[in-house]
Amino acid sequence: MNQMTLKNIKRPLSPVRVAYVSLILCLFLVLTMVFSLLLGTAEVRPDQLWRLFTGEPGVEKAVSLIVFKIRLPRIILAGIVGFSLSIGGLVFQALLRNPLADPFILGVSSGSAFGAVLGIILGLSYNLGIPFMSFAGALLTIYLILTVGRRKMGMESSTILLTGVIINAFFTAIIMFFIATATDDRLHSILFWLYGDLSQSNYSESALVAPIMLAAFVILYGFSRHLNLITAGEETAVQLGVDVERAKLICFLIVSLMVGLVVSFSGLIGFVGLIIPHLGRMVFGSDHRLLMPVSALGGAAFLVAADTLARTVISPGEVPVGVITAFIGAPFFIYLLKTRGSRWTRS
Amino acid sequence: MDPILSFKNVGFRYDRSWAMRNLNLDIRPGELWGILGPNGSGKSTLLSVADGILAPQEGQVLLENIPMSSFTRLALAGKVAMVAQESYFRFSFSTLEVVLMGRFPHLKRFQFEGKKDIEVAFKALEATDCLEIAQRSIHELSGGEKQRVLIARALAQEPTIILLDESTSFLDLRYKKEIFDLIFSLTRERGVSVLVVSHDIDLSAQYCDRMVMLKGGRIHSTGVPADVITVSNIESVYGCQVIVDKNPAKGSPRVSLV
Repeated sequence: MNQMTLKNIKRPLSPVRVAYVSLILCLFLVLTMVFSLLLGTAEVRPDQLWRLFTGEPGVEKAVSLIVFKIRLPRIILAGIVGFSLSIGGLVFQALLRNPLADPFILGVSSGSAFGAVLGIILGLSYNLGIPFMSFAGALLTIYLILTVGRRKMGMESSTILLTGVIINAFFTAIIMFFIATATDDRLHSILFWLYGDLSQSNYSESALVAPIMLAAFVILYGFSRHLNLITAGEETAVQLGVDVERAKLICFLIVSLMVGLVVSFSGLIGFVGLIIPHLGRMVFGSDHRLLMPVSALGGAAFLVAADTLARTVISPGEVPVGVITAFIGAPFFIYLLKTRGSRWTRS
Repeated sequence: MDPILSFKNVGFRYDRSWAMRNLNLDIRPGELWGILGPNGSGKSTLLSVADGILAPQEGQVLLENIPMSSFTRLALAGKVAMVAQESYFRFSFSTLEVVLMGRFPHLKRFQFEGKKDIEVAFKALEATDCLEIAQRSIHELSGGEKQRVLIARALAQEPTIILLDESTSFLDLRYKKEIFDLIFSLTRERGVSVLVVSHDIDLSAQYCDRMVMLKGGRIHSTGVPADVITVSNIESVYGCQVIVDKNPAKGSPRVSLV
């Protein structure tokens, strides 16, 4: 028997293990990015890439342009979006104690979509106008959820969920109205946006969003033990000393802002926030102190890979990256439901 | 000795009708209290108020002579531990991880469990006979094992007061006895005060120093077990006919239905 003694008792999670796992996933992410840089319609050879990054001369201008102006900004944005959506999914699943929650479940994304579609209809620019409108839509939704969904008893999960469903339905109706009245060229843009599209990316967006996401990550990481306890039941968490209402409010707000911001640059990319945290749990257990970096880095790598597929499968054409993630995500999800469903449905 | 927890004319209501009223109770360090009463008589309400989860609308509760309402949730969790009737874990944690959750009030944000926390968790696992299942997932455990793990988590909190809400209901005879032995020794050796809600009148009577019998949210009688567990008290509170004699082994009151 593996009888424990005080000597051989091993703590389930140490900071060293968190750092170790994070480092390995970081390397994996960098590797994925390098592969993504090499793949595409135009050929970029590994030796060319090596010379570009080491600053050696002898690489054609065109290749340099493809790597630094087209592929790299897109890869970086994909990484940031995957990072944020995956963390968002993880935190919402913990807060709502619902493994099927995704970062879009509160309807924040439909508010973003409403803003973005309105921006496209008005013919605003992809660099500034549409993200701005989209983020404004997200903020409007967050405000609605907090005023409608929050009662004097605090934020009850089922009320929050129901509010999200209703907000989703309402904004979807408005979006359908826009689609019905849109002209053909606008229609294409709207549909691409709705399925998640990373082709309109540049460095300045990433430079703006990346530090915000990192700060959000640090704040959320400070709540990782709180989240562990909340998944064990809100009442239990309160008894063990968690200020559950405060933790929920802060986490909901931060994730909603993250999602609203990220969606405004990328559109609705589904399933990242659903499957990556689940994969993390299957491999690493349920401790959020480890799951947070795992989900963030895993989500980044996953979306970089998915976006690489999105721009190569029908090359020289492109599919929205949301189509790829759904293609991979939906079957995986059915598999999860089949194998673990019974445990989820008990309450 | 000063009471560690005292109820001063406490009243609590969920809506219009009072679930608990005019409750006065002094719990001293190291005392083991049994709380009796039929379903809906306010036992769980009493425990939730004692845990600071429910704030009374009337009167006040003093913890170490300080009003409970002036403690933060975190500070309370370092002093009072509750073992609930049951607990459901949505995500899979190991037994050791669950017990270490009890260290939450003793850790700072961003802090990981250190040597001392592991030691406390180990002792809690040892005391509840959970060492063998320390690495197993909480989902694989039986109801009784899970209950022992929850008690271990409460011990890991290192509280001065432990509240047990029918925590021994799912346990077989042996573990019932072991849990009562354990909490009894906690009261004697570490001066922990324990409040036990249990429907097992005989067993509580064997171990408890004092008892309260509740009826309709009010104290019907209180005192040492022999004074509380009487034919007339039980008949008027539970409404059934009984014979009360003495437990041949311990001399504590024993109830038999007629």
